[in-house]
Amino acid sequence: MAAMMKFPSSRKMTLIAGAIVAINGFFPALWILFTSLKTESELMRLPITIWPAAPTLGNYARVFTDQPIFLFMWNSFVVAVLSTILCVTVSALAAYALVRLRIPAPNVILSVLLAVAMFPLISLMVPLFSVMRDLSLLNTWWALIFPYAVLSMPVCTLVLISFFQDIPRDLENAAMIDGCSRLGALWHVVIPLTAPGVFTAGILAFVNAWDEFLLALTLAPRVASRTLPVGITLYQGEFSFPWPIISAALIIAIVPICIIIAIFQERVVGGLTSGGVKG
Amino acid sequence: MTGPFMTAKLSSLERSERRLGIALLMPAFALLGGVVLYPIAALIRMSFSENKLTEPWMAKPWIGFENYWKALGDHRLWEASWHTALYIIVTVPGAVALGLGLALLANQPFKVKWPVRLGLLLPWALPLVFAGLIFRWFFEYQQGLVNNLLIWIGLSPVNWLTQEGPAFFAICVAIIWKTSSFAALVLLAGLQTIPKSLYEAAEVDGASKWNQFREITLPMLKPAIIVALIFRTITAIQTFDIPKAMTDGGPGNATETLAMYIHKTTIDSLDFGYGSTLAVLMFIVSAILTSIYLRHTRRDPSAGRH
Repeated sequence: MAAMMKFPSSRKMTLIAGAIVAINGFFPALWILFTSLKTESELMRLPITIWPAAPTLGNYARVFTDQPIFLFMWNSFVVAVLSTILCVTVSALAAYALVRLRIPAPNVILSVLLAVAMFPLISLMVPLFSVMRDLSLLNTWWALIFPYAVLSMPVCTLVLISFFQDIPRDLENAAMIDGCSRLGALWHVVIPLTAPGVFTAGILAFVNAWDEFLLALTLAPRVASRTLPVGITLYQGEFSFPWPIISAALIIAIVPICIIIAIFQERVVGGLTSGGVKG
Repeated sequence: MTGPFMTAKLSSLERSERRLGIALLMPAFALLGGVVLYPIAALIRMSFSENKLTEPWMAKPWIGFENYWKALGDHRLWEASWHTALYIIVTVPGAVALGLGLALLANQPFKVKWPVRLGLLLPWALPLVFAGLIFRWFFEYQQGLVNNLLIWIGLSPVNWLTQEGPAFFAICVAIIWKTSSFAALVLLAGLQTIPKSLYEAAEVDGASKWNQFREITLPMLKPAIIVALIFRTITAIQTFDIPKAMTDGGPGNATETLAMYIHKTTIDSLDFGYGSTLAVLMFIVSAILTSIYLRHTRRDPSAGRH
């Protein structure tokens, strides 16, 4: 039946189709936004209201006073940025080697790299906990930075490979005739030309790290080292789950990621669909 | 391309390039070695030992396959595996079907593209655990949106998160909503590669929209659908965040997944020996699926695009 909408006969049908997609995506976040603006007493009233009757920012103030949310955000930010830099650097070097430098059996090496990097996190969590404990790295940023760099390695490597493949060999050869080394050509010619690809890989790695929960919960559970997803999920009121405050905290945590995907939406879609699957 | 003849007489330039290539791969493999391979070795070793962090003064004796025999008879493990299988059976096709619907709706010549594109991206960008929290709020008994809608249309409210069946249903809804957006993005990219001329030709032949969907769209989209299904299955095996946020496995252990059981055994009960055994079993299943996925997406990175 959905096929009826393939080529809609009117502009109205197009609008309705678009509205359904947009509402499906936005509604849960909007509902949380409305909840975060309601007072505790309005929330208790039945039947429930949709729009906040008397919008208040009190819940946001409570988030900042009740929980060290800036600290959670700082932890998330540092871990995401450092793991992204590590991941993109390592993936770019590997991708370049696979695409350009005549290493034996590049497709086998790529498969091995992907297979190892896609080892299920839940299985990895168990030994990582004991390894990090032995290294006294539990509850530090490093406990998360290294695993997160691996987490995004498959998608970053695939995105970068597809961008590197589009650079004509002649450009690099010209640079090398001009006296550049291979690495010089990579740094001065290939990376600038594939900046959008490097950037896309970086955004995907950042979002993956920002969103991760299981390892953060396991390897950095102490309050001072929690990232946003862990900090907010483990937020418990004294008697019940304080929904207005949780909602406000969720909005605070979602906003940075929303800004990033809103600015770079085309890159993100391109990267996800070219890197994640057969392009 | 690089047959035996080519490799036999590599020029010195090619040899030095090959050395550089191997050097450039080293950081990636060093990282994988430290974060994945060494821990896997530790994991396998631990799975054959008794290793309880609650009794740190105890030796950690090698006990052979004892943990594995214990797993075979572990009722809770079989239950958690069954729950995980149910989540896979329901949410994988569910997410891909919803994703296909969204992709078809989104595949239109919109004048303003960003609301639709962001509508597809937002669920993807949201942490899984936040999706879990949001849907927990939707399914809350008194103030939850779902029960209030039920009351509004004249039905009685349901204790969604404290009964086995309804809790499973609610969790599936959350998982399907959250994971359909990645499927939708992949399928939309697939839809956009189908040549418009195929539809125009079918139009001339007088094929109905339904037949066009069945005869053109679905077959052309099949590779993308298969990739989306496999990819979703690999991630669905590891289902943890959403049930953790919504029910924490409850009521009882009724919605507990394999991943949650492993987490509880190791991190909460600190039984690393048995937890490792469970993690090894999980890895074996997941490895089989990953190899299927890689077979479907394999390509030669040095071959270029054309």
